[in-house]
Amino acid sequence: MKDQLTKEEVLHVAHLARIKIDEEEIEKYQVELKKLLNDVDKIKEVEGYDEERMIAPWSKDTIAREDKSGEMLNPKEVLKNAPRHSGNYIEVPIVISDGEEA
Amino acid sequence: MLDKTIEEIHEALKKKVIKPIDLVEEAFNRIERNKELNAYITLNKEAAIKRAKELEEKEVGDNLLFGLPIAIKDNIVTKDLRTTCASHILENFIPIYDATVVEKINANDMIIIGKTNMDEFAMGSSSRTSYFGAPKNPWDKTKISGGSSGGSATTIAARDLLFALGTDTGGSIRQPASYTGIVGMKPTYGRVSRYGMVAFASSLDQIGPMTRSVYENALLLNVIAGEDDKDLTSANKEPEDFTRKIGRDIKGMKIALPNYFMSDIVTEEIRREVEKTKNMLEENGAIVDYVDMKYLDKAVTLYQIIAMGEASSNLARFDGIRYGYSIENPKDIEDLYLETRKNGFGQEVKRRIMVGSYLLSGENAKIYYNKALSIRDDMKKEFDKVFENYDLIIGPTTTTTAYDLTDPMDDPSKSFMDDVLVIPVNMAGLPGLSLPIGFGKEHMPIGLHIIANSFDEATIYQLASFIEQKLNLNLNPRKDDENV
Repeated sequence: MKDQLTKEEVLHVAHLARIKIDEEEIEKYQVELKKLLNDVDKIKEVEGYDEERMIAPWSKDTIAREDKSGEMLNPKEVLKNAPRHSGNYIEVPIVISDGEEA
Repeated sequence: MLDKTIEEIHEALKKKVIKPIDLVEEAFNRIERNKELNAYITLNKEAAIKRAKELEEKEVGDNLLFGLPIAIKDNIVTKDLRTTCASHILENFIPIYDATVVEKINANDMIIIGKTNMDEFAMGSSSRTSYFGAPKNPWDKTKISGGSSGGSATTIAARDLLFALGTDTGGSIRQPASYTGIVGMKPTYGRVSRYGMVAFASSLDQIGPMTRSVYENALLLNVIAGEDDKDLTSANKEPEDFTRKIGRDIKGMKIALPNYFMSDIVTEEIRREVEKTKNMLEENGAIVDYVDMKYLDKAVTLYQIIAMGEASSNLARFDGIRYGYSIENPKDIEDLYLETRKNGFGQEVKRRIMVGSYLLSGENAKIYYNKALSIRDDMKKEFDKVFENYDLIIGPTTTTTAYDLTDPMDDPSKSFMDDVLVIPVNMAGLPGLSLPIGFGKEHMPIGLHIIANSFDEATIYQLASFIEQKLNLNLNPRKDDENV
């Protein structure tokens, strides 16, 4: 069995993660990601486990907060860390393209 | 002053022989002297001095922690104090609120000195994935301090100050504590609020104290423990005094030592030290039995799946829009995401996000993540079985002592395997503590790992304190002529 991912596989996981990778990085990731995927594949060897599932090691009953208004964050403060903003809004670049690429 | 016992410092404050500002200045002097250890990302100098002055107006009272300096790991948010997670993507991030643990520390009149170095987003085992360079081990500056809470471990081991907070998702408090010869506790999952800790793997993350002694560790846990409305996974437990069992005899205490923890994955010198401690405990009336436990050897695999999966989801929030680094002039939103995350994250983080995204995508979620959760449950039950017959479980904290800073980083599995002995505890949500029990080759510290049943931290402190007292090791790496 080859011990690396294909180029396409690397580009696929990079796309899932929304991380751009350069052409010259692909080769490195083909090997490194495969190594980690080999590691996690060891789970397939485990048999006879209980199907009952623990979501978190500690759980308590669902509780609802009291329905009352609390302190709000100050919009000016919140926007301090936003890279691009205008007034009380955060600016984003074009989300829906003009169709050329669709 | 900072080398004295906590009681002596407290007495001096109470009698006004010293003021909090003296402790703060001493801590900053020591940090400055130890600058090359690179324990800190950001110092809180101005605010700390201001706070120390304010405390001069307050009664010292019976609070042993009054006026004492503390360092906070840089993935715990502090209002108006830069919090980077050791990442380029948060290099200029200034939080607008305090984590719950930070509120508690302030309410208890401790003084925050700075934010400590760590692996980027706590992903790593040597703190070498930090965007700001790795901290160095005070015992030997050519060696790692471990990770991911490497900066907190470094500053405590170097005796810059007495108290630090770390976080532990897969060993990140206990492993560096072991490498640097200090005491580090990962409390039970749910014991301490995670509100304001930048999430890595939410079902595993936990904040805990890192200190030079067991008693001081328990004192700090007293401060930070407790239910929190802002963290629905925090446990509704009555407040308790974690120091209450310290000083009690250990006669009749039943302790399990899993065979796996003493197998040949651990170096001989470490096994020898643990064996010595085991004999000492038996001579003092404890019962220590070797036991077999299933699934321990599977813990790293489970951890890789759960931690990388949850991380890929948690780190999706770093998109260059609401906060953090962002590229200039993006073409469109996709371009903004892709380029920001490419430039903003380091190699280790990117690798883990990519694998994590894959593990959670489509059918894979069932094959990997859901199965890992099921086996994790079985592992917890395996621990439950042991605790039916034993009070505590012990073993070595790490398989080797701290290795060279220059050791290769090209094996992506290595950072996981460094934590092979501590990860099972995160899987089962249990409390675990590392405490120094001796030294190996080149006089590098060796740690003992003590594990208790859920919410039984007090019994861990009882045994740890007993061992600490019996061994009475010199744990100050500084030579006498280096004293401030």
